[in-house]
Amino acid sequence: MATASVSTPLKSHTGIFSSRTAGGRMPLTPSPRQRAIPINLNSSPFTPDKPTNDGHRAASKSVYGRDLSSHLARSTSGAHRNSPKSNIARGVSTPRKALELGVSDFTLTGTGLHNRGTPASTRSKKTAPLRQKAAKTSINYAADRFIPNRGASSAIANVGSGKLDFQEKQRPRTGNSEASSVLASATDDAIAALEGLSLDDGEPASYSRPSPNTVAYQDSLADACGVNLNQRILQFKPAPPESSKPIDLRQQYNRPLKPAGAGAAQFRRRIATAPERVLDAPGLIDDYYLNLLDWSSCNQVAIGLERNVYVWSADEGSVSSLLETSPDTYVSSVKWSGDGAYVGVGLGTGEVQIWDVAEGVKVRSMFGHDTRVGVMGWSKHLLSTGARSGLVYNHDVRIAEHKVAELVSHTSEVCGLEWRSDGAQLATGGNDNLLSIWDARSLAVPKFTKTNHKAAVKAVAWCPWNMNLLATGGGSHDKHIHFWNTTSGARVNSIDTGSQVTSLRWSPHYREIVSSSGFPANSLSIWSYPTLVRNVEIPAHESRVLHSCLSPDGQMLATAAADESLKFWKIFEKKAGAGAGVGGAGSSGKAEMSKQMTIR
Amino acid sequence: MASSSVAPILAAEKDKSKVHKLSLKGSAKLVAEFFQYSIHTILFQRGVYPAEDFSAVKKYGLNMLVSSDDQVRAYIKKIMAQLDKWMVGGKITKLVIVITNKDTGEHVERWQFDVQIFKPTKPSKSSKSKLSSTQENDGSAPQAPVEKTEAEIQQEIAAIFRQITASVTFLPQLNGDCTFNVLVYADADSDVPVEWGDSDAKEIVNGERVQLRGFSTANHRVDTLVSYRLQD
Repeated sequence: MATASVSTPLKSHTGIFSSRTAGGRMPLTPSPRQRAIPINLNSSPFTPDKPTNDGHRAASKSVYGRDLSSHLARSTSGAHRNSPKSNIARGVSTPRKALELGVSDFTLTGTGLHNRGTPASTRSKKTAPLRQKAAKTSINYAADRFIPNRGASSAIANVGSGKLDFQEKQRPRTGNSEASSVLASATDDAIAALEGLSLDDGEPASYSRPSPNTVAYQDSLADACGVNLNQRILQFKPAPPESSKPIDLRQQYNRPLKPAGAGAAQFRRRIATAPERVLDAPGLIDDYYLNLLDWSSCNQVAIGLERNVYVWSADEGSVSSLLETSPDTYVSSVKWSGDGAYVGVGLGTGEVQIWDVAEGVKVRSMFGHDTRVGVMGWSKHLLSTGARSGLVYNHDVRIAEHKVAELVSHTSEVCGLEWRSDGAQLATGGNDNLLSIWDARSLAVPKFTKTNHKAAVKAVAWCPWNMNLLATGGGSHDKHIHFWNTTSGARVNSIDTGSQVTSLRWSPHYREIVSSSGFPANSLSIWSYPTLVRNVEIPAHESRVLHSCLSPDGQMLATAAADESLKFWKIFEKKAGAGAGVGGAGSSGKAEMSKQMTIR
Repeated sequence: MASSSVAPILAAEKDKSKVHKLSLKGSAKLVAEFFQYSIHTILFQRGVYPAEDFSAVKKYGLNMLVSSDDQVRAYIKKIMAQLDKWMVGGKITKLVIVITNKDTGEHVERWQFDVQIFKPTKPSKSSKSKLSSTQENDGSAPQAPVEKTEAEIQQEIAAIFRQITASVTFLPQLNGDCTFNVLVYADADSDVPVEWGDSDAKEIVNGERVQLRGFSTANHRVDTLVSYRLQD
């Protein structure tokens, strides 16, 4: 779990760029915005908020205790008038006098018109509507001398004292603001009981003098339950299922709290959750529908940044600008040919260029699309290009009449396209939420057309160990990864990832697939297949991850995100257990066997 | 509320309330989901069902233990189906999980979740995203309420579950076979399906109470309280 932030020493690359990028951010240089990945050392899981046992008891007492007396002190001093919450107190301004006279406020509330005139409107917003009703009703029922009943029923022994009665009158307010309904005041209950009585019995509204005994009974009942009768306590009646065996908690507490997880953890490999390296990618267009990142079999990374294509050599750590488009367009896709010698570049105009990277010259331009080419895929000499129009063309790059097939299926922008490694099938996904699987031998109609995704299908990946298995991921309204048997056309599995799926890559070594996500997670998730267990979720970028690609040795994943950074993750490291030494990754990479690819 | 007689204003008001209902619904869902995980967690932590019946799922950034016993799941699912409806309708003020000793019928532990519904106050600003050709690029507009992010709420919830988990350290040992009941404090005018019936509060007599953390969304506030019988 030790997440060390990788600090890449600044290299003397200033010479490379001095002429081109004076003043600006240099593409593919170590990002200055290295963020230390926060280590989530959760503080002690049990830190109760203040209110422990004592606190709660104090709160419960406060109804009668300190809180009230202080309030009383305030109200007698006349301050209550200004108190925004003191709605009742305002109504009882006269009773305050009565208080001094030693007369119960109930007498007064019953007769005094002023109190009748203080209905719900004076109640503060905090008071639940339910209570409002109760309060209003109270005026009707309390219209007469009623004190003895209350004294008999409620557990408060101090009836008769005008002062305390006054407190009682104020209690609903205090009780509500405390929001401690367990301790619902006896007054409320009494009132509610009365109201409930009239409701339940269907008594006429004029009924205003309840039998003392009934009231007392209702009151004590409500009091015993500690609830308002405007409420019902409902119980889910069916008996809960029996426990399969008797449980001794003592035994349970002595074992790990999650035995299942603990067992699996031993077999789970460790995955480095810190990036190996972070490079700047200024000007990376934040567009889900483009495919601007690719890693060649010769260990070179090509990235399209607005009008430029840069090639970053993972072996040498050097970067060069391959091309710059004319000002009226931009790079919308890049794709390496299988041998890593050429890179196909799709442009916003619909033009497709093929560049020889070693020579740094353009080999040819292919026209045909009249909308931007957002995605491309190579199958030997065939280059498939998907455009915004929804059309997919196959180009034979060797011949002059390059366009050899037109694949018509999508009605909206094609953003996902992937050839199966043997070139026998092609999968395309579009903004029309469609996934099409094509047989290379008959391209007139798709072999299968899948409509399961509910958003654009950009993430398309063929399983390296099972030729018939295809994984596809949907956009932000879909959030699913679907797995397909491309021979039968059946959907074999699905995952709800919870966020936009922007790309999918299978690990060549582990039975795992990594998905990159956009809003809201902006993370990388590694899933086991076929168990579909999420092994790890790495919070990868500050904004959505747009593109990803695997290194030729399959150990490293490069991700480009809308936060204009390019990060390298060693998520499929071949040797397990070496995860702790992430900090020294720059040098450890070199020291490892020559077969392994390194990035510098 | 409906004091205005000018048509456009009325229309605007209606619009606002519509937006509100949605966010209220989302909040209610979140609270209901929290209840569901609470029930599972309490059943596990208090040993109402054997630990082997539970499996861990990632939720709220924690490993939540959820029963994998079909019967228990179905039972909770039935409860949740109704609870969801009540939550969305704003009918519930409390949800209570009572653990009862099977032999003596005594209520030994009572977990209470108080729900407060806030009045909708300020208009929410989120506008429906139109389905343009670049809908995926628009997708990053957050739909969470303004004042608290989803992540913050999740953290608050996670803190409660940590507390529930940690509460086993001070809660008394439950002896003997225990079962549980779910109570709901609903408004008197709620629709009540047949499986639900009136009940008493099943309070713990002379119980000890401990207030745990709470969490709040734009529309709801939930407070947690556990009461338990003191060991004699």
